Amino acid sequence: MDVTEILKSLTGTFPEAISEATAKSEIRARAYVDKEKVKEVCQYLKDSLQFDHLCSVCGVDYIEWNELEVVYHIASYNHPVVLMLKARLPRDNPEIESVVPVYWNANWYERETYEFYGIKFKNHPNLKPLVLPEDMLGEWPLRKDYEGFPNKTARNLV
Amino acid sequence: MEEMLEPNEMIIHLGPQHPMQPGPFRLNLKLKGETVMDAEVELGYIHKGIEKILENKTYLQGITIVDRICYLVALTNEECYVGCVEKLLDIEPPERAQYIRVILEELTRLQSHLLGTGEFGGFIGFVSMLMYTIKEREDLLSLIDMVTGARITHSFLRFGGVRDDLPPGFKEKTLPVLNNLKKVINDFEEMFHSDRVYKERTVGVGVLTADVAKSLGVSGPALRATGVPFDIRKNEPYLVYNDLDFKVCTETAGDCFARVQVRLNEMRESIYIIEQCLDQIPNGPIFPENSLYGRRTPVMRVPAGEVFHRVEDPRGEMGMYMVSDGSDKPYRVKVRGPVYPTLQALPPLIKGTTVADIAAISGSMDGCTSEADR
Amino acid sequence: MDIPEFIIPLIPWIRGIVGLSLVGVIFLGAMGAVWLERKLSADIQCRMGPCRVGKYGLLQLVADAIKLFTKEDLKPRNADSLLFNSANIFMIGSVFLMLVAIPVGAVFINGVEYPLAVTQMDISVLYIEAVSALSIFGIFMIAYGSNNKYSLLGAFRNFARMVGYEVPLGLTVVSVAIMTGSLSIVEISSSQGMLWNIFLQPLGCFVFFVALMADMGRLPFDQNESEEELVAGWITEYGGMRFGLAFFAEYIHMILGSFLVALLFLGGWNVPGFVANNSVLGLIAPTVFLLIKVVFVLMVIIGLRWAVPRFRIDQVVDLSWKKLLPLALLNLVWAVGLGLYLGA
Repeated sequence: MDVTEILKSLTGTFPEAISEATAKSEIRARAYVDKEKVKEVCQYLKDSLQFDHLCSVCGVDYIEWNELEVVYHIASYNHPVVLMLKARLPRDNPEIESVVPVYWNANWYERETYEFYGIKFKNHPNLKPLVLPEDMLGEWPLRKDYEGFPNKTARNLV
Repeated sequence: MEEMLEPNEMIIHLGPQHPMQPGPFRLNLKLKGETVMDAEVELGYIHKGIEKILENKTYLQGITIVDRICYLVALTNEECYVGCVEKLLDIEPPERAQYIRVILEELTRLQSHLLGTGEFGGFIGFVSMLMYTIKEREDLLSLIDMVTGARITHSFLRFGGVRDDLPPGFKEKTLPVLNNLKKVINDFEEMFHSDRVYKERTVGVGVLTADVAKSLGVSGPALRATGVPFDIRKNEPYLVYNDLDFKVCTETAGDCFARVQVRLNEMRESIYIIEQCLDQIPNGPIFPENSLYGRRTPVMRVPAGEVFHRVEDPRGEMGMYMVSDGSDKPYRVKVRGPVYPTLQALPPLIKGTTVADIAAISGSMDGCTSEADR
Repeated sequence: MDIPEFIIPLIPWIRGIVGLSLVGVIFLGAMGAVWLERKLSADIQCRMGPCRVGKYGLLQLVADAIKLFTKEDLKPRNADSLLFNSANIFMIGSVFLMLVAIPVGAVFINGVEYPLAVTQMDISVLYIEAVSALSIFGIFMIAYGSNNKYSLLGAFRNFARMVGYEVPLGLTVVSVAIMTGSLSIVEISSSQGMLWNIFLQPLGCFVFFVALMADMGRLPFDQNESEEELVAGWITEYGGMRFGLAFFAEYIHMILGSFLVALLFLGGWNVPGFVANNSVLGLIAPTVFLLIKVVFVLMVIIGLRWAVPRFRIDQVVDLSWKKLLPLALLNLVWAVGLGLYLGA
């Protein structure tokens, strides 16, 4: 499948949820998605456009615009196009729908994004810290205003 | 998992310190006799905070850090990072540098597969296998040492090329090592196929079908052993893989035996690739002459943008997502390791099997906790 | 021969001294077996074994023994004291009780054979079988008394393995006894002459060897202490000299098992007639022959450990009940027929 066909089909099906869909090259495409419709877009990608491989889910902190972004990289086992979906979230109460029912391996990626940025994923089966210790929950270390070591790395260190 | 234990069930932790694991992670098991009823993986014992560190180091300093994501396959990690920055800078390394990179990465793939196969033998009780593969690996590490100067963490690639050229006499030293390795791989294969106990331990154990593997998100030899021919070197060629002739090795069974067989076949393909590279490598510069920055420039400003670059790590598909804001340090680097989905897929795979099979299954998936934790 | 008068009150002392020196010799033999294992396994794995402490690493075991003696003796807080502290007695006791009945050689004086055993019993083979099962108590006591889930899993596997393999072991030994017509190991060994039992009962020798490896807990049957799954299995909580004693008990058991194979199936100390009648050779040749056979069997047992992977526990149980037991029964029928034919 061609990258322009993919983008055309995507914008055709979700005209108000997808914005700024561009093709950066033959095998890379980028689109901004509305945060309420992420799960439906992913379901459509998996069913109709053969995008059945979720590469990663990550978060980026844009502190000047007061926004957090969740970036989904979705690829396919059949064609080489990688689609980058970005969802903008407000910085003080970031919440987004979880895509675990669509892609099973998003489970750990979303847990990691939650513990690093504080983004809550609704309807996630098991949202608890994965890599950081339990007493660092609430620190959101990867945000740009994290003060860091030595005051905020881990509490109750003797 | 701690609630509602029946009378003959117990909870056991294959804990952070265990002779079996490739790195520290905690595996909570609920056992009934010897059968696993439930399993859960807990990570975080070797978390180094690499993504946050990379935001505070310049791009050149980042090469040393990216080396240490998984110290066994350091060159592939560097390739991913350097490839991202090269895409942002929009430069392409000269041909000789690309061939040198391919040679070194295939050597890395060879030694990683050797260690993975040996460790798998060690996990099922075949300790001699571990010793044999380590012995073969020493020759390969000496070859890599001759070029880069280090056995594990190399810091050899630069943005636009490599640090140094191949030393004189490299080809004459490599070819006998590769010929010996071909015989050794044939010996291993014969040993595996004729050993009755080995077959009883591995055939039919930890079976993955293609659909389950795709939905679990695994990639690499574990996916190719189920029959899906997904290899980034063919799907999305980078460097000079377009000009090289190799095939993607697949098996159909999807059990531990098939995964080890895929690794042995891939080793043969890697040897063939290195031989072709040594024949085809052109003379020329190893660093582009008209680039903005030299090989040793410490501070370089990369234009703003974002990029996602994937390479084929020996364990699977490795990707890096880099966001740059025009300064001399990256704004955000996200490392997508190949071992992450493998470890995530471990609990559903080991439910219903016995404790002895856990060792076989996790060994055949060839994990590296350091990469999963970053 | 006539015993001079003045020695009679000294006989208990002589027995004590001989017994203690036998203990010392057996421990030295165990150290030799450990050295042999380390060097042979290194040879198989393309590396050098111990090579620095003493010539050819012969003093490595002395260094290890010193290290084990000087370690702290730890006991987990919730472990059962009685079981934990006394398990070693069962293991070492079982091994030394076996040692009492096994002849370690023979001397021929004027053509008359004097086997070198501490006692000669009429039912020695049955006695050895029964006493070698005592070590199971020791293993269970350690595993249950450690209050450790890894040890518990190791104990479960031990149950399954021991129950399955004692039966073929006993059956093959009984087959040899039936064919010879006696339960005394001295008589079984010396009645073989130059036609060893392995040629008369090859199936029996094979079954006995496999069952013996399973009984001793050597790879491919060492599921109860498999390092990769259960840390150290049943002996996880033992440290220092407790571990050292259990370790030595296992190697002495291995040596005694090799003695059994050599005596029951490989012809024991039998020598050709002209050697037996020779006055000098008759003193040393039979013992040397027996020791050569024992070392050969030891090397086979050690080499097998490093050459094959480990079975899973359900495959081990499967092997014993479905494959080894019918073979042992077949061998028993064959032995009965052969015994009737040879007797007639």
